[in-house]
Amino acid sequence: MKKIKVLLSCLTVVVMTTSIFIGCGSSTSTSASKAKADSGGKTTVTVWHYFDGQQQQKAMENLADKFNKSQDKIEVQVDFVPRAELTKQFTIGLVADKLPDLGLVDNPDMASFAAMGLFADITDKMNSYEGKDQFYPGPISSCKLDGKYYGIPLGSNDLALYYNKDMLSAAGVEPPTTFDELKTVAKKVTKGDTYGLAISAPKNEEGTFQYLPWLLSTGAKFNEVGSSAGVSSLQYLTDLIKDGSMSKEVINWTQNDLEKQFVTNKAAMITDGPWIIDTVKKDAPNLNWGVVKIPKDKVFASDLGGENWGIIKGHHETEAWEFIKFTQQKDIMNQYCADFGYIPSRKDIAESNEKITKDPIMSVFLDELQFAMPRGPHAKWPEISDAMSTALQESFTNAKTPEQAAKDAQVKIDAVLK
Amino acid sequence: MLKSNHSREFIKEERIGYLFIFPALIFMLAFVGYPIIYNFILSFRDVNVTTFSNPIKPFVGLKNYIEVFKDPTMGISIWNTLVFTIGSIAIQFVIGLGLALLFNLKFKLSEPIRGLMVVSYLIPMTVTALLFKFMYSTSGGIINELLMKFNLISQPIGWIIDSKYSMLSVILTNSWVGIPFNMLLLTTGLSNISPTLYEAAKVDGANVFHRFFKITLPCLRPAILSVLVLGFIYTFKVFDLVFVMTNGGPVNTTELMSTFAYKLSFTQFSFSKGAAVANVLFAILFVVSLGYLGLIKEDEVMD
Repeated sequence: MKKIKVLLSCLTVVVMTTSIFIGCGSSTSTSASKAKADSGGKTTVTVWHYFDGQQQQKAMENLADKFNKSQDKIEVQVDFVPRAELTKQFTIGLVADKLPDLGLVDNPDMASFAAMGLFADITDKMNSYEGKDQFYPGPISSCKLDGKYYGIPLGSNDLALYYNKDMLSAAGVEPPTTFDELKTVAKKVTKGDTYGLAISAPKNEEGTFQYLPWLLSTGAKFNEVGSSAGVSSLQYLTDLIKDGSMSKEVINWTQNDLEKQFVTNKAAMITDGPWIIDTVKKDAPNLNWGVVKIPKDKVFASDLGGENWGIIKGHHETEAWEFIKFTQQKDIMNQYCADFGYIPSRKDIAESNEKITKDPIMSVFLDELQFAMPRGPHAKWPEISDAMSTALQESFTNAKTPEQAAKDAQVKIDAVLK
Repeated sequence: MLKSNHSREFIKEERIGYLFIFPALIFMLAFVGYPIIYNFILSFRDVNVTTFSNPIKPFVGLKNYIEVFKDPTMGISIWNTLVFTIGSIAIQFVIGLGLALLFNLKFKLSEPIRGLMVVSYLIPMTVTALLFKFMYSTSGGIINELLMKFNLISQPIGWIIDSKYSMLSVILTNSWVGIPFNMLLLTTGLSNISPTLYEAAKVDGANVFHRFFKITLPCLRPAILSVLVLGFIYTFKVFDLVFVMTNGGPVNTTELMSTFAYKLSFTQFSFSKGAAVANVLFAILFVVSLGYLGLIKEDEVMD
């Protein structure tokens, strides 16, 4: 009995002391980080991004440099955080309050983070901002949730069809514009270890991103995977694998892998975004290639990629907004978008940039942008996306028939949207 | 023996003993106890994207557990975790025991080679995962290249991208990591067996098999038990290896409970469901540990 008593009293003491420790731990760390931010008379605004490309990282640094030199009140500091880590840090940071002042997130994630209370509501700032109506409808709608603004687009991109000119002309075919044409062309140019078409279909957001154009093109909406049109899109892609025109390894390829397949002549056509243009030119300077819109079933479709700025709630909101406004100037936006391989999300800037409108490649991506749908926006988009990329994998690996896979995905999506 | 001794002296000593373990206890409660309790509470609340910022998170009872078990991925992930664990342990144990016996022969160079064997256990999991990912690759991966060179296969096998082989591939990788661990613990066990036992058996005319099954295995029982249980606990919660190599794919063929819980929490932001899966994993391991403690007690009584 005595033993138990001693043990119990020990435990109580321990629990009390630990709760004190925990209390101390979090409060000291926050005050420390705030003190650091305000040192030296300048306000430091920390920015987190997940761009791992060298060129993109440099573009981010340049952007901050230019801003820091343009005034002497705010110092922007750019930090790279790997993507998986960034998502985790944002959610953990919400509890532990270890967050930057400004974050860049993939546009379909914006709604989730906004719903979780990560981002400040900038509706008032936006309403008094003169550039507000210049954004393309897709990009700006991805910044909104329940009618309120939580972010502003960094830049946009979309998917289009890259094709190998030499291979297509050797087979005596033109670049395809419809699903049927694509099927025939893909079959004709499949030879040896060259596949006609390659898409990227991993079981994550990237897979969903790549699948959506095919789904939307059949006339189905993002929440209608299980409809007959939705099933037909999955059937169409699965048939391409069955025909031998597309490798079944696509379930493991990222969009960067597609670029490698394309430049090594292992894929005659790929669906990819404008961010790979420079890499293709560098990897294969002699490759003869072009870009067309993704072939259509009923309507042209693509989906919207790109990141949004989001100001972290309760941090240096005013200063972060100053920086965002700085990035919205014509020359500056054109410069960093060119470095990123992105299209400016603003009509006034993109459509007056001759490097985009007169360029045979970039103009296709600009044209495609009007058909580019934002993913969601929905706070539970990640769950919807998971259902779609799972269906894609199930169908491609023959784990389920396209119809069954699509129907099962529909059940999951309905459960999320109800 | 000491249990009957209730002298003042002893109680005083015992109190001092508590004082010594006090810091460790604080540490355990803060860094082990707190997260477990927090996770437990989290799993009974409804915390997801929409309720995350609410000041009050409602208790929803077993709703998260019911929803998680309704999800077919849960059943698949439990099954996969069991296959992964038992498969890994079987391979690790058999090879580990074989190597332990081999190096116990104390031939020339046996010590340095045994030292080298441990390298695979020392490499960080993520690095191992990346290495094997390259080795399993269908274009230029060394495993496929070798098999093709020796004409064992004509087409490269999609070790980690083909649903037929993906589980086997991650099990083999995990076994490679676990073999030295098994070998070391079993070697320690072997060195505790008195050589006089073998000498006596030899005199009595027992052959190699008799000696192995009648002396080595029974004497190794405690070591074998710890190896298996520790191996089970260690393997059951493996996360990094699978996360890096396959991320649970293709489809769900290598989805473990650990990767599933991570996915629910950090890609779908269903924190409560993620916590529920983690707790199921915890409960299974807890039961296994209790069983282990029971077995140890039994052994001690026997001794």
